[in-house]
Amino acid sequence: MRGVVIPISMVPGNSVIHRISPLPKLLLAGCVLVLSFSTRNPAILGALIVLGMVMVSVANIWKPFLRVMAILFPILLTLITLQSIAPAFPRPWTPIVSMGPFTIYQEGIYSGVTMVERATSMTIFALAAIMTTHPSDLFASLQKIGMPYVLNFILTMTLQLIPILQKEFTTVLSAQKSRGLKGTGFAAVLPSMVPVFVGAIERVQQLSISLESRAFGSSGAKTSYRSVKVSWVDYLLMLLTTFGTCGLLYWIITDPSLDWSRTLIFAPWLAITLFTLATIGFLIFVIIAIRVVLRA
Amino acid sequence: MSGEKPILEIKDLTFTYAGAETPALKNINLQIFEGEYVALLGLNGSGKTTLQLCINAVIPHMIMGDMEGSVTVQDLDTAEYPTRELAKIVGVVFDNPEFQLSQMSVAEEIALGLENLGVAVEEMNPIIHEVLDIVGLSGLGDRSPFELSGGQQQRLSIAAALAMRPQILVMDEPTSNVDPIGKEEVFAVAAKLNRERKMTVIMAEHEVEVMAAYANRIIVMDHGEVILNGTPTEVFSQLDVLEKAGLRVPQVTEMAYRLEHDRSAHWNSVYPVTTEEAFQRIAPLFGGKHD
Ligand SMILES: Nc1ncnc2c1ncn2[C@@H]1O[C@H](COP(=O)(O)OP(=O)(O)O)[C@@H](O)[C@H]1O
Ligand SMILES: [Mg+2]
Repeated sequence: MRGVVIPISMVPGNSVIHRISPLPKLLLAGCVLVLSFSTRNPAILGALIVLGMVMVSVANIWKPFLRVMAILFPILLTLITLQSIAPAFPRPWTPIVSMGPFTIYQEGIYSGVTMVERATSMTIFALAAIMTTHPSDLFASLQKIGMPYVLNFILTMTLQLIPILQKEFTTVLSAQKSRGLKGTGFAAVLPSMVPVFVGAIERVQQLSISLESRAFGSSGAKTSYRSVKVSWVDYLLMLLTTFGTCGLLYWIITDPSLDWSRTLIFAPWLAITLFTLATIGFLIFVIIAIRVVLRA
Repeated sequence: MSGEKPILEIKDLTFTYAGAETPALKNINLQIFEGEYVALLGLNGSGKTTLQLCINAVIPHMIMGDMEGSVTVQDLDTAEYPTRELAKIVGVVFDNPEFQLSQMSVAEEIALGLENLGVAVEEMNPIIHEVLDIVGLSGLGDRSPFELSGGQQQRLSIAAALAMRPQILVMDEPTSNVDPIGKEEVFAVAAKLNRERKMTVIMAEHEVEVMAAYANRIIVMDHGEVILNGTPTEVFSQLDVLEKAGLRVPQVTEMAYRLEHDRSAHWNSVYPVTTEEAFQRIAPLFGGKHD
């Protein structure tokens, strides 16, 4: 089963990025999200991606980062394929080439490429924040900026549950195989899901009794063991991030020349290449994914 | 013990799970005093877990069913106090170590209960250190609970319960999912708490030899009823009753029985239950020096 569940968790390290408090990192990830959704300019989105990659380099988390992207990126590629032939864009559309029943449109390629850029830039910053922060600090920060205690707790538990259920699934599957169950295909995977699912329910019941026995759910004031310290450096960083984002937003909103959808012309060969690469990339991913799941 | 007030008193307790036809507990009457180490013996399904869930009010507050009679801990009637409000009196450890843990680190696992009680943050670290020290997990505060061995996880569960300063520690087959070395560690911690801190321990367990050595009271359950209740010596001397309930006695006790039946040894109905006791009583038969 290894490799099927996306491993998103902290990568231990001592880089500058690791040492910054989680709050500025979360803020930056949030700002990039806002920026990415407010522009379709490929150059601005590209610049955000480059900035994100600089962060990944400084934090020295390329390997785990690429492992996640290897799964995410091929899925994003479908955006280019689908958008090219059916743009989510106001008509009129400018056809570039026709292949049988399909026509690739200029606006479609533009839309597809910028959507992929958007998703990529958001993901990079979110991953950089998650992978350089101890999960407990992350949750403590989320609580600090107003996430309710119970929601926070549910999120923590869910994150804990994923690797446990994965391990249980592997155990059950190998037990069933050793009992002579034909070990390939979904026919083998499905019967293993049932005991894992039943086990999960039992686990949650038992855990809720266990938590209640430790006064979980008491009325009365609660305290919080983990706390995030925010230094003046963090405040400065947050201030800079906010100003930078506001400036960029102002530029994006007021400068109509940033809309390149009609001016950035894709040559037919480039459009076909992009379309083909995206489609092939996605298909290869699907084939590999199916094989991994079936082999598990 | 006669004039003393029991820390746990169960009166005419009968409980039937919602949807079940027969009661899981039938007319239980028990008094348990501070500092006792009580072992609960009985086959699977005899009602040990159900009885233990009544002690900290999981029954009737979290599990549906029909409860008659009363359970009182430290003068508090469990019908009136939900589980979370008894956390400072009753700590519990269940059989499956992983099902009780939920936090990112050992220290946070212990802090969870303290947070719920609203203990001040400055007071938490000393408490965490203290309870980790008691259960022998010092220095593991930053580890993930899920990286620990089964025995360590159970000791962490004990530590998490201890942090809330309970007077009663209820343990439901705490070693049934733990390797042999881990079992020893868990038993040792429970014995130490009982001996050094007067902790009242109520443990369901199948290891009769271990219980004969540690417990000062044995309660035997069968089909939801308490069929025996007394010191290890009193209880294990009732071999016929235990056999009828499908239970074993310690191996030395069994040997003492056979010596009585095959070799006409006489124990005056007081059978040895630990190796040490057996040795003390058998050794003189062989003559020679002993001191
Ligand atoms: N949640 C439940 N719902 C219905 N019946 C239960 C439940 N838990 C236990 N029982 C029944 O209650 C009886 C006592 O079980 P239990 O207290 O778990 O025994 P033990 O811990 O000694 O193995 C058994 O007959 C069991 O089937
Ligand atoms: Mg049980």
